[in-house]
Amino acid sequence: MIVYIVRRLLQAVPQLVIISIVLFALMQAIGDPISTLGARVPPRPEEKARLRRMLGLDQPAYMQYVVWLIGNDWLKLDMDGDGVRETPGPRRGILRGDLGNSLVTRQPVVTMIAERLPNTLLLMVTAEVVIIVFSLLIGVYSAIKRYTPVDNVITAGAFVGFSMPVFWLALMMMYLFAVNFKRWGLPYLPTIGMYDPAVGQTLGEVVRHMVMPVATLSIISVAGYSRYVRASMIEVLHQDYIRTARAKGVREWLVVYRHALKNASLPFVTLIGLDIPFFLAGAVVTEQIFGWPGMGRMFIDHTNRSDFPVLMGILMFIALAVVVVQLLTDVTYSFLDPRIRLN
Amino acid sequence: MRLQKSSLWSVVSTLVAGALLASACTGATATPAATEVPANTQSPANTQAPANTPAPADTVAPDPTAGPDFSGSATITFVQEPDNLNPLYTTMWFSALTTQFWLKGVWSFDDQSQPYPELAAEIPSAENGGVSEDGQTITIRLNPDVTWSDGEPLTADDFVFTYDMVMSDQNIVLSRAPYEDYVTSVEAADPQTVVVHMNSSYAAWLTTLFTVVLPKHILEPVFAAEGTLDNAEWNRAPTVGVGPFVFTEWEPQSHMIFTANATWIRPPKLEQIVVRMSPDDAAQEAAILAGDTQIGAFLDASQVARLEADGTVQVAGTPGGFDESWFLNVNPDTAHPAMLDVNVRMALALATDRFTIVQDLLDAEINPVNATFWDNTPGYATETLEPYPYDPAEAARLLDAAGWVDSNGDGTRDKDGVELVLRYITNERELRKNVQAVVQQEWAALGIGTELVNHSADIFWNDFTNGGPQAKGEYDIAQYSSSPLGPPDPEASDGWRCNQIANADKPDGANWQGYCNPDLDALFDQQAVTADPTARKAIYKDIQQVMYDDVIYIGMWKDPDLWSIHETLHNVRLSGPTPFWNAAEWTSDK
Repeated sequence: MIVYIVRRLLQAVPQLVIISIVLFALMQAIGDPISTLGARVPPRPEEKARLRRMLGLDQPAYMQYVVWLIGNDWLKLDMDGDGVRETPGPRRGILRGDLGNSLVTRQPVVTMIAERLPNTLLLMVTAEVVIIVFSLLIGVYSAIKRYTPVDNVITAGAFVGFSMPVFWLALMMMYLFAVNFKRWGLPYLPTIGMYDPAVGQTLGEVVRHMVMPVATLSIISVAGYSRYVRASMIEVLHQDYIRTARAKGVREWLVVYRHALKNASLPFVTLIGLDIPFFLAGAVVTEQIFGWPGMGRMFIDHTNRSDFPVLMGILMFIALAVVVVQLLTDVTYSFLDPRIRLN
Repeated sequence: MRLQKSSLWSVVSTLVAGALLASACTGATATPAATEVPANTQSPANTQAPANTPAPADTVAPDPTAGPDFSGSATITFVQEPDNLNPLYTTMWFSALTTQFWLKGVWSFDDQSQPYPELAAEIPSAENGGVSEDGQTITIRLNPDVTWSDGEPLTADDFVFTYDMVMSDQNIVLSRAPYEDYVTSVEAADPQTVVVHMNSSYAAWLTTLFTVVLPKHILEPVFAAEGTLDNAEWNRAPTVGVGPFVFTEWEPQSHMIFTANATWIRPPKLEQIVVRMSPDDAAQEAAILAGDTQIGAFLDASQVARLEADGTVQVAGTPGGFDESWFLNVNPDTAHPAMLDVNVRMALALATDRFTIVQDLLDAEINPVNATFWDNTPGYATETLEPYPYDPAEAARLLDAAGWVDSNGDGTRDKDGVELVLRYITNERELRKNVQAVVQQEWAALGIGTELVNHSADIFWNDFTNGGPQAKGEYDIAQYSSSPLGPPDPEASDGWRCNQIANADKPDGANWQGYCNPDLDALFDQQAVTADPTARKAIYKDIQQVMYDDVIYIGMWKDPDLWSIHETLHNVRLSGPTPFWNAAEWTSDK
């Protein structure tokens, strides 16, 4: 197993290098970060030229990639525009742990990710727990009670839930539970943010602000995932070893939850494994609408500003997470199904 | 090796607990950003300030015997988060808005767009000796009562330092305007007197000089140690400022908090102002309706009716200098040949029912059709000029007379074998796409063909070198909302000067319409050095007449900045150039 893990990690190195080259090439097409700088009046052309020179954006793309990779402290830059390179570069490059600075906020990308990541993990992990619990409960119940009226209602509900666009669901919930409940004098939920700054970041405040974003993220996923669990359970419940277990007089709940669910959960684990790296990416639409200060919102904000150092930082971080989590998922398979041998 | 169940659970629970803990620990970390004051705090006609403009009457003078008594909190939402709080490193309007709380400039503009002194003791003028006879030296006398929020005196050295930092090659500042082009030196004549030497009489000084100042005692050591201010902690956590409030906290993508500054010359009434970030327009509207925010900024005209119907919110518009505009390409090298004929351009104006467009797609009261580029720049609109009327019959007659007739019967006019199909470009905003569709139909009825193109914002604004469609002249009509460089100052001349036409020899040229009129150039030259506001207004009247007669600009509608103000917030008087100028006077029921 250890050999297997080491081999997979070594394979990841060229994988990540190729990913970084492809991503950097794609970054050349996302737009010009100097074109507006977020201002309502575009900067004057001579200011643009000065900024391009000072930020190194006048260099060819391959050179910018090299600087991103290994830094530019071995180079000299022409900061005053006199054609003479006199100032040593400040970058150390990603290989030495420097993901660069945002062109927009001037902050180190590492700092920006570190600020947003806990918020995103809090939202996404909570949502994923809700998704797993409800998908299993609904999926298993639906499988056991298949083709009964209850199952049919659940099936219909799942299709409705799965069909709802996330932005629509989020805004409808906001108008119902925040705006209208307040008007009607009912207990209501807050509209935006992670907590009310006037109250402070207390546990109660964060939980209140999490209810709608978590519900938004969960409803659609539960609707989809519970169908996987149901289908998988129905298949397993028909197998011989289940019949054998029942014939031996094993209690029904043990048959369902110990014997059947364990095997039926393999496809579900695959789905969860695919989800986990994207915890780090955050939920773009949900975070945007509910004003949740997370990674997804940072990604979209900085995409709009063509801030490629931040985008590269986030994307490489996710790429690394995908590699690691896929490895962990494979390891988990062998735990769930002893027949799988990784070596 | 096989993972045990217990270790799997501990990994999962550690992850969740870690996320909760890390999230709970981030509460008080402040990372503020500041804005660079918009180049837009210029006052129109007021480039020469009225002598001895007093502070507005409603900015109550402090009673030195009374202790500050702050109460209440105001909440504002921004749909875009400031990227930086150091004004040297941002050009974002939202960042500039906050400086009225914590980093005042030498003067601000009230709700009549009139300047009044903040850090200065008076507005410089020829009468008080603040403006030299040749207009090339501005002397700013500081108010001796003003101190930084940490109690350190504000002196002329702070201004010299600010100028040095703007011009330093070690600082990658976003804009050096106007210092790079006009200012030759800034000196501290004495601790309370700043003298600005310029290379010419510069009419826009009032709206561009020292709209902000940096605290030398805080930032000079940083510059000395790091060789640059690019990464200074103060840029995102400027805990020392000069204004009615002090920066306290910035939780990125969540909120900023500014608390009352008892040392400010006119102490505020509110205890704190909270700025919350709500990036989604619809979510901001919900927050406004739910009363979670008391001021909503940068609203869309389509939201006005819904918000006002609620009864708890008032919508206000301020003249920020912006007008939705059509810029016509008249460059003989790139434009459609028909665009070079003034009668065809006039026909395009007459063929477009802009009055119905604003009625159907916007709010005709808030967004009336404008006549000139300066209609929303207070003091500079030429009231005698009316928007071109809607007169399709006259448009058809002009086109016929110009020789553009449908000779081949394909439904589109043509001349000398060239079809009259015009390229009409704008960005990807839905409203503009709708306008394009309406115009396409109206013009088709007159035999004018259109090619509608929508560019993403970054491509739309790209310069000549980077293939920008406007800069390269790959259009006949370009639509967007535009303003003078620093409203309320009217200066925008580079967009129409002969020597600014963008081409391979002048790739950084700002004139993307290819228009060249020596008479207009002369008027622009004249206004740039005319310090007397009345005389400058008269020149602008002539400028607008020339452009109106030549039909190189067609106004679509006035584009004021729209705000919602909740009934629980009082005394809010917003201005166009410095919207939150009277924040010290605000009171709140919350």
